[in-house]
Amino acid sequence: MSVKARQVDIAKIIEILKNYPEEKRYILAMMQDVQGEFKYLPREGMEIIASRVDVPLSRVYSMATFYKAFSLVPKGRINFKVCDGTACHIKGSNVLIDQIYKHLGIKPGETTADGEFSIETVNCIGACALAPAIVANERVHPKVTSAGIIDIIKSYGGLADAIDN
Amino acid sequence: MQSTIDLDNRMILVCCGTGCLANGSMEVYEALNQGLTSTNVQVQTYTKPTGCNGWCEKGPLVKIMPDDITYIQVTIADVPEIIEKTLQTGEVINRLLYRDPKTKKRIKSHHEIEFYKKQHKIALRNIGEIDPASIQDYIDRDGYKAITKVLAAVTPTQVIDEVIKSGLRGRGGGGFPTGLKWKACAATTALPRYVICNGDEGDPGAFMDRSIMEGDPHTVIEGMIICAYAIGASAGFIYVRDEYSLAVKNLGIAIDNARSCGYLGKDILGSTLSFDIDIVRGGGAFVCGEETALIASIEGNVGEPRDKYVFPTEKGLWGQPTIINNVESWANIPVIINEGAQKFAAIGTEGSKGTKVFSLVGKVINTGLVEVPMGTTLREIIYDIGGGIPGGRKFKAVQTGGPSGGCIPDSMLDLQVDFDTLTEAGSMMGSGGLIVMDDRTCMVEIARYYVNFLAEESCGKCTPCREGLKAMRETLEGICKGQGKLEDIDFLRDIGETMQTASLCALGRTAPNPVLSTLHYFADEYLAHINEARCPAGVCRDLTHFYIEAELCTGCGLCVKQCPVDGISGEKKEPHVIDQEKCIQCGECINHCKFNAVKVR
Amino acid sequence: MKISIDHQKVDVNPGETILEAARKNGIDIPTLCYHEAYGGQGMCRMCMVEVKTGQTTRMVASCTYPIYQEIEVETSTPAIEKIRKNIVTLLYRSSPSSEFMEKLYREYQGGEMRDVQFSPEFSDRCILCRLCVKACEEIGTSAISAIYRGTDKRISTPFDEASAACIGCAACAQVCPTSAIDIFQSDTERIIWNKTFTRVKCGRCGEPFATREQLEYIAARTGIEGYEATLCEDCRKKKIAIQLSQFTD
Repeated sequence: MSVKARQVDIAKIIEILKNYPEEKRYILAMMQDVQGEFKYLPREGMEIIASRVDVPLSRVYSMATFYKAFSLVPKGRINFKVCDGTACHIKGSNVLIDQIYKHLGIKPGETTADGEFSIETVNCIGACALAPAIVANERVHPKVTSAGIIDIIKSYGGLADAIDN
Repeated sequence: MQSTIDLDNRMILVCCGTGCLANGSMEVYEALNQGLTSTNVQVQTYTKPTGCNGWCEKGPLVKIMPDDITYIQVTIADVPEIIEKTLQTGEVINRLLYRDPKTKKRIKSHHEIEFYKKQHKIALRNIGEIDPASIQDYIDRDGYKAITKVLAAVTPTQVIDEVIKSGLRGRGGGGFPTGLKWKACAATTALPRYVICNGDEGDPGAFMDRSIMEGDPHTVIEGMIICAYAIGASAGFIYVRDEYSLAVKNLGIAIDNARSCGYLGKDILGSTLSFDIDIVRGGGAFVCGEETALIASIEGNVGEPRDKYVFPTEKGLWGQPTIINNVESWANIPVIINEGAQKFAAIGTEGSKGTKVFSLVGKVINTGLVEVPMGTTLREIIYDIGGGIPGGRKFKAVQTGGPSGGCIPDSMLDLQVDFDTLTEAGSMMGSGGLIVMDDRTCMVEIARYYVNFLAEESCGKCTPCREGLKAMRETLEGICKGQGKLEDIDFLRDIGETMQTASLCALGRTAPNPVLSTLHYFADEYLAHINEARCPAGVCRDLTHFYIEAELCTGCGLCVKQCPVDGISGEKKEPHVIDQEKCIQCGECINHCKFNAVKVR
Repeated sequence: MKISIDHQKVDVNPGETILEAARKNGIDIPTLCYHEAYGGQGMCRMCMVEVKTGQTTRMVASCTYPIYQEIEVETSTPAIEKIRKNIVTLLYRSSPSSEFMEKLYREYQGGEMRDVQFSPEFSDRCILCRLCVKACEEIGTSAISAIYRGTDKRISTPFDEASAACIGCAACAQVCPTSAIDIFQSDTERIIWNKTFTRVKCGRCGEPFATREQLEYIAARTGIEGYEATLCEDCRKKKIAIQLSQFTD
């Protein structure tokens, strides 16, 4: 499934990178800031960083794929982060992941074809008393049940019926 | 109506730790601020957003001083009443007080509440009492006294000796004597030297370091400055987990404030010590909690560890002598220096001095952060402080040490918690996560969960870890699906042994622990999965069959409401039935049934 | 200084690794990720040995362990052999179509071919020794690297696409112990890592050898151009031999 290609503002990337000296040790921070701006890490970002710091592109790509903070695919308008920390796990976070798959057709790391929703799992957001927790675009939804997740998806404008795959 | 009331330094502390924020404490804080301005109240200090009070289960927490009142589960609807009654007349609102489930009495001060009574706060001493963005709050509570004393009158060697005498052992999980680490580093000759704070708290279910970095960043900073003096370091780094944005923010503010006040920078407090700190945000990798991987990450590489035949104290960051300590370790240093090693060493056990912060989570009534002296028993923590298991369910196991640790069963609840006892029991202290599990937790599935976690978090460099985890994951997934064979158990043990001896780093070496400890204490569950294709806890979907015991069912219909697939039917007050075709084994029915009528085959 | 390896006293220089010291003295320790040109990587863990310092004994990777004091080393014990056997089994599980691993597996099973449950997540012969990455780094192009992590770790070019940095020299394919890198070659073409290269014919013997990109790269780095640059390995050696013979007559 492909998501609509978006035009990347190269000038913006260069502006962001100007905040750092052109040294290897700032590659991670550069990538984080670019991702912060574009909500994902565009290819152009990696190429420009590699060129500025004068390291092989393969090295920057290794780092971008190694660290889970980076998404190489644009996120949806609403990004669900399902906490799969141990406390949330034993309170049924995997059931919620299944429900999202059942109703939106996406697995962790994926985005719906219309670019509306994406889902990822995260390891412990530190709100263990509210397990199982889901974060939707920075908003924490506490103690989500398998019925409740359907309401949450609907509240963000999602489809109500299960999708046939 | 104009009324000016002098509230004599009355302070309202609103908990703004991540847990309470998620429950709406920021709205409460803002409503209080708004409400107070509009009644034209004159106050010296009024509201303070604080860090995590630890008792996330009961948030948002609001404390009122000097009355020493703690209100729990406060909503914005409660704010006008709090202003009108408590702040203006000192009247206590009983319904907002915690009600002890045993005595049924309402308790005014958090000091009297069971959750807090048995705690002894050193690392968490300031959190919940100060505004982390205010350096003055920190200074008012003996902050920066230790570094002032040290720079004026104590030699580096004396500082190191004091830390050695305190008996402080690394709080991140390694448990290595902190003072000895500093001593080894100070004995090297190469310059420059570095001090690093490992804030990459990766154990799922652990949030102690997050709370300290968010709620009392200065205690970490001061600890690092003291170390920089002791070992002759010129630069420091705080490596903070990517997901902890509030911690990054508060640390940043604290470092700026510390600089302005002359505690960081050149010639600190007029001495010859020049030291400053940079924040490095992690990229989202559990393995970066391993010190050589953390170093690689700061240097601008992927977070892959290296063999540690030469320690970072000798060749660390950029090949230079480096001290890396965990957030909680740093938080203890100013207190050790201020109050003396002896006082610290008087707390705890023979081999483990001081206190430990635990994150008590999972199937326990009072989930949150607790700090207790080493040597406190698991029973005391889970039952006295934690309040026991919710829903009247039965305790099954407590997992300690995160993915590197193991599960401890009911028979060992009187274990006195310290580094060595937990290791002897087949687990480990780790960073302090205590995940409480009840009879609705499948121990085989827990082993699978941790192995799956590690298979994704492993750096993937060395064969025993990468391939071993892959093989373990496949085997455990097979067992949870009912495809397990008896040989699988020997296979898991055999591969586990290779991983423990041949892996490159501690992640790989300890990866088999959750598997081996659950095999040791809960072999019967593995056998039920393998021999009977049955999951006794009712968790593994392919091996779970829920049914309703007609004699116990009262026909209340609560399960019908919870079922996400409309799979339960029955007349009111008549026994209900689960439609096995529709059932997705989500467990909501058994979780909610008040009559224990839903059973697992 | 002197240390003992398998009860044999050997001379070592401080900082030398156990593996280097052993090989120098004809003592063989099996490795999969080691190459003399690149040194030890500490990845495969086949080279684990037992080291005794004073009273403590522990297992270390001989390819990365630097010798700084007098130690006693045992390169093969039942425990060590068990590790090696398991490592080979684990790698074979993940690379079922590798003849190299099949052969090694058979060796460690004592010649018998025992049943192996292959992993559904297998690679096509790659054992992630990363010698290819090292070779590419040494050449200076670093067109390939290890990407992702954990059980998803694999070797590739950025975005799994033809890399601008790749010169088609095939040093990676040459150094790979399991022939895991697909390389298609004809007289005129070489296709490797999803990129098609034109092969150049030797100016003297006419045999196709390097890629045009490779020669351009060498020219840029060494300044060797013109006729010199168009000679294949053999012809260049012959040319040097002829030149040298002028001095030996």
